[in-house]
Amino acid sequence: MRIIELDHITFSYAPDEPPVLRDLSLTVEAGECLVLQGDNGSGKTTLFRVLNGLSLPQAGVYRFDGEAVTASLLKNQRWAKRFHKRVGYLFQNPDVMLFNASVREEIAFGPRQMGLNEDEITSRVSDCLALFDLESLADKAPYHLSGGQKKQAALAAVLALNPEVLILDEPLAGLDRGTRARLVQLLSELRQAGKTLLIATHDDMLRSSLDARVYTLERSI
Amino acid sequence: MIPAWMAQSDTYAPPRDGGAFAMRTLRSVGSALARLQIQRGRDGLRIPPVIKLLLLILGIVTLSLARNRLLLLAIAALVLSYTCLLPARTVLAVLRPAFGAALLSLVLFLPAMLLRPAGAGNNWIVIGKVFLSVTMVSIFNRRTQWNRITGALRKLHVPGVFVFVLDLTLKYVVLLGGLIADLLTARGLRAVGRDRHKYRSVGGVMGVTFLRASALSRETWEAMVCRGFTDDYKGL
Repeated sequence: MRIIELDHITFSYAPDEPPVLRDLSLTVEAGECLVLQGDNGSGKTTLFRVLNGLSLPQAGVYRFDGEAVTASLLKNQRWAKRFHKRVGYLFQNPDVMLFNASVREEIAFGPRQMGLNEDEITSRVSDCLALFDLESLADKAPYHLSGGQKKQAALAAVLALNPEVLILDEPLAGLDRGTRARLVQLLSELRQAGKTLLIATHDDMLRSSLDARVYTLERSI
Repeated sequence: MIPAWMAQSDTYAPPRDGGAFAMRTLRSVGSALARLQIQRGRDGLRIPPVIKLLLLILGIVTLSLARNRLLLLAIAALVLSYTCLLPARTVLAVLRPAFGAALLSLVLFLPAMLLRPAGAGNNWIVIGKVFLSVTMVSIFNRRTQWNRITGALRKLHVPGVFVFVLDLTLKYVVLLGGLIADLLTARGLRAVGRDRHKYRSVGGVMGVTFLRASALSRETWEAMVCRGFTDDYKGL
């Protein structure tokens, strides 16, 4: 089943600027793992913004689970919330994802939004902290974590929502060797569990470990 | 090993959640600040920024000193004619704050105009002056990049340290505006249900922005010291 379908999309940030994405077509099956490669400025982050509904293409159609993602659909709060629940996005810069007083609160933010009961929230938070070995930092302010720890805390916060599709922008950047290996293992398990993964990375180890399909973006300018 | 709940799909139907006023306001402030970054400032007439700045100062001083209605009408004709040459989107962006400022002046003058109808003519002149001044500043702002404005100030021999502080401030405003916009976007992506603690999130965003601003200023200072800065700023 196709979960993501981009049909000849073109996107530029301003009408008088050349498009960052030009006539791009791409399909991703549910449960598939796609690694996105390309030079700096080739539009990987822009493509991820389009896939998250943060930017809308000027031409072409983006379909998520068979439904065309349009401005009017995204204005429908219930639809948009369900869409964002289904698609988790790890930003390239984790600093912009962390705004709560503690790592625990950060991870609990999503499950609280979903209206889960306190026991379920506590259980999800504990599981996510354990996945990334962050238990000892649970009550620390995310702002004071190191770059790698911030990235893990941000990913834990995304995973707490249990999205079907995970869009990860450079998830391994800035992580030490041990953490990278643990994260690759985690992504492999998520893939086996049927999650759809879209990952922008320059890391060949990740691509081969996940046996992922590679899509290379060429600079359109 | 991933937990069992992560290997299953959630059946989730989000509730409706209104009242995102604080978030919307903060997002629009952040976006407005971040927009400074992409300000193009293209000018079809290619007037040097120094001349533009001098014309702006001259225009505002003339406008504030003018008592002759004919002179005021002439300035109005000039400003509005120039506005007509701008692209439609820019015209809207230029006139919106001008009308806003004029409306605010009208509200402030309204009691005086109602109590003393004889002096209403003068009040209308002041409102017109406010409208024209804001329009001129808005045109200058829309058609001139910030770095060119600070460059123009340097050419006018404004003290270097003032220009430097202004330059740095503008850069921080852009950076922090971008940070606020990104934080709220990231929050929005995870705000998939009913937020019972909206103001906690607003506080969190403000707090992170404050901490980042503080860290940025410290890091900039350290970088300057590493490059030989000794509290004595010498402009170019």
